[in-house]
Amino acid sequence: MLYLVWLLPLFGAVLLWAFGPQLKSWGGPIGSALIGVAFVATVVLWPDATAQGGMHVPLASWLPGWTFGLQLDRLSLIWSLIITGVGFLIHVYSIGYMDGDRAFSRFFAYMNFFVFAMLTLVLSDNLIGLLIGWGLVGLASYFLIGFWFERPTAVSAARKAFVMNVVGDVGIMFAIFIIVRDLGSIAYSDIFVRFAISGSFSPHDMFLVCLGLFIGAAAKSAQIPLHTWLPDAMEGPTPVSALIHAATMVTAGVYLIARFAPMWSASPDAQELVGVIGGLTALAGAILGCAQWDIKRILAYSTMSQIGYMIMGVGVGAYDAGVFHFLTHAFFKAQLFLGAGIVIHALANEQDVRRMGGLRKQLPFAFVAMLVGVLAISGVPGLSGFFSKDAVVYGALATGHPWLYAVGVITAGITAYYMFRLLFVTFFGAYRGSVDPSDLGIRHPELAGVSASSGHHPEEEEPHHHAPSWLMSVPVAILIVPSILIGWLDAGPNGPWKQFFAGFFPRVPEAANLPLSEVLSTALVFVVVAVGFAVAYWRYGAPAALRDAIARLRGETIRMHAVLVNAYYFDAAYEMLLVRPAYALGRFIDNFLDPHVIDAGVRETAWSAQWLGHLFRSFQTGLVRVYALSIALGVAGFVAYYAIAFGAGR
Amino acid sequence: MSVSPESYVALSAVLFFIGVVGVIARRNPLIMLMSIELLFNAANLALVAYARAWVNNAGHIFAFLVITVAAAEAAIGLAIVMMTFRTSPHVDVDEVAALKG
Amino acid sequence: MIAFWILAVLMIASAVFTVTAKKPVYSVLGLLVNFVALAATYLTLQAEFLAVMQIVVYSGAILILFVFVIALLSSGVRPFEVGPDRAPRILIPAVILALIALAGIAVSALRVPVAAHTGVPAGTTGEAAAFGSVADFGVALFTTNLLPFEVTAFILMVAVIGVVLIAGDEGPSGIVRRKKRRSIERESIVKREPLVR
Repeated sequence: MLYLVWLLPLFGAVLLWAFGPQLKSWGGPIGSALIGVAFVATVVLWPDATAQGGMHVPLASWLPGWTFGLQLDRLSLIWSLIITGVGFLIHVYSIGYMDGDRAFSRFFAYMNFFVFAMLTLVLSDNLIGLLIGWGLVGLASYFLIGFWFERPTAVSAARKAFVMNVVGDVGIMFAIFIIVRDLGSIAYSDIFVRFAISGSFSPHDMFLVCLGLFIGAAAKSAQIPLHTWLPDAMEGPTPVSALIHAATMVTAGVYLIARFAPMWSASPDAQELVGVIGGLTALAGAILGCAQWDIKRILAYSTMSQIGYMIMGVGVGAYDAGVFHFLTHAFFKAQLFLGAGIVIHALANEQDVRRMGGLRKQLPFAFVAMLVGVLAISGVPGLSGFFSKDAVVYGALATGHPWLYAVGVITAGITAYYMFRLLFVTFFGAYRGSVDPSDLGIRHPELAGVSASSGHHPEEEEPHHHAPSWLMSVPVAILIVPSILIGWLDAGPNGPWKQFFAGFFPRVPEAANLPLSEVLSTALVFVVVAVGFAVAYWRYGAPAALRDAIARLRGETIRMHAVLVNAYYFDAAYEMLLVRPAYALGRFIDNFLDPHVIDAGVRETAWSAQWLGHLFRSFQTGLVRVYALSIALGVAGFVAYYAIAFGAGR
Repeated sequence: MSVSPESYVALSAVLFFIGVVGVIARRNPLIMLMSIELLFNAANLALVAYARAWVNNAGHIFAFLVITVAAAEAAIGLAIVMMTFRTSPHVDVDEVAALKG
Repeated sequence: MIAFWILAVLMIASAVFTVTAKKPVYSVLGLLVNFVALAATYLTLQAEFLAVMQIVVYSGAILILFVFVIALLSSGVRPFEVGPDRAPRILIPAVILALIALAGIAVSALRVPVAAHTGVPAGTTGEAAAFGSVADFGVALFTTNLLPFEVTAFILMVAVIGVVLIAGDEGPSGIVRRKKRRSIERESIVKREPLVR
């Protein structure tokens, strides 16, 4: 059964890859159906997974004692359900979204391949399988970001994502090296048992392992300073952004840290580092989200920020809270992306929110979907985000990290601000699509993310607001339900969620005297969120703001601070510190090392062979007498040797 | 009074010396071949002298074999000379330089 | 002893004459003297059979062969002419190398003294005064050294065949030439046939 879950997506990928052109428009439904079956199979496996020790299926033996296998325990069950469940909905959505694309089947082949890779990652029972899955999801992400490979920006974004992910892979690889050296196994079961018994890591190795794992997690989950690929990854089709760059793949870092929870708990330094990085990323992502105009980039930065929350949660030791935030985020962020996808689809690939506005009436369904998503992500009480975010933030306080708590609370307010900003600018006021871009302060339309309008839907030349097909709206409608309700799983001090993970993660001792009770903390977060909403309403949603929206947006675009526009200059710094030196090294090799050392070596070798040939050729005079002379030379040499060596002895 | 074997060997060496110089210095292929015969004979003389000194007729056998091989060599050598110089205006080994690299 | 010195002087002189003679015929004469003197030297070394062989094979067969070749080569209009010397200074290294060889042999021979024998040595047959006799030599040749003897015979046979092939009617290329001539004749026959019947 577990095989089925694991291999169905691979089967779909191979099938669609090989026979895509023949399947024509059937490629989408087939790919979706396979994922759906995998989801059903996962649900059926629920009892097995929650049984003592989880479910384990041996696969193959690599070396004596080093086996590959699949395992399904509570943690991987949660991930598998999200991957196949949300994945299925997004597949169905994609049938509508990608309709008419030239490479319809190829898209679903990649998507199935991604699901397979992600399942490999979470279902593997050992480190090597994890690393393979880790690499494969990076590859799938590369394929899908660069899906529209006619666009140079998409290609470079794909490359950037892949390279950054490989940085993370290397980190994990080093962590695995140390684990194998010190514990002598790759299987999780062995590792954690041995780790618990012997504690055979020195603190130094302990920190290095955690650091390596965290580099991997940071690269995959877009944490500072390896986050810059995520906004660029929005070059991919919107369903891809929803599935890979919001719901599943980018949360692999959270999975990794949760999976290695015993080790993190044993390394306070690493925990501190991860918590700080997570909080920093949450804050930085939220602030950058305020400065974006591209609807998908806003969502990308919000994703980065939310993953920052998750990482912070698992980093400080509130593992179940972090994982819970992953769960809720998967629903509401997928829903936000799919809602944004409906908008983009309806506006013929317009992504700049400045050129939207007033879409509430034309696209009521998208508005409702986005509204629920925004409410959920902002942490409005009763919706899913409220519970999970609250759990994470309070977890930081409970484990004795007041500064991270403060960062979390502030970020919650900023999140509310920029999400409502997105909502107001997109759906309220009057439609601005026909306004001259320069009036909105868009100086270089082709550089400002508006370029996407020249693209993959040649039949939709003029923007007309057509209603989304049922294939696109039904998945979104389904997603709305968990976005609202799933949070109640963790309601109360002893909710189902806490029971589900009871005893699964190592317990972190709670700080002795907390300055705030949980109820007070919730109230504080709510107040901050309300403030964020109020500011957003005042600036973008109030009748006065809507009336002269064009002038205001223009003014804001012009005044926007360069630091924010350039996303804290991370890309520029990488350009300066890494790309330029790499280019310089390349030029050095090209101009000096290659021609003057390597080629010269080859040339000299050839030349010396030629020279030797000339030398020996001069011996070949063709004169018999000279040959005879050389024989005489041999005779003389032989006799002289004989006379000296043997004659002298007597 | 018998002559010491060293004297015979010395005589053999002198003859060998003359033969070597002849092979290398002369350009007439016939005289070169004759010089080679001289070399053979010099070697034979040494063999026979040592056979006498050690009272062992293996040296004689060797000398006999050398004579046989020398006859074969002379026959083939002369045939090659005939072949080579039948059509050339000079009988001169320097003319034959086809092996020049 | 006196005989040895006379023979030695005779051999060296004739060898020098052989090497330095202007015409090959003179060389042959010098060589003849050399061979006869060598045969005499063999006699002083109790190698009667070899002495006879020397006279028969060398002085008889080989030198006659040389004379024939000389006669054949100079029978036409072409005398022995000498073209440009391609290696004019080769004499110097030749002499030096030969001197080194000479010195080496001399040193070796003098440093390794041969035990002086006294009395009449015994040969292979065990009889006194048999060493070097024809009987002694024959026994040694046809018993212990039979295989080398047969191999030498084989070598001689190969040499004879080779000589016939090389110096025969038209040489090794003669066969090819004949074949070519025949194929040309055939071609011309074909050409003479009418293209259209």
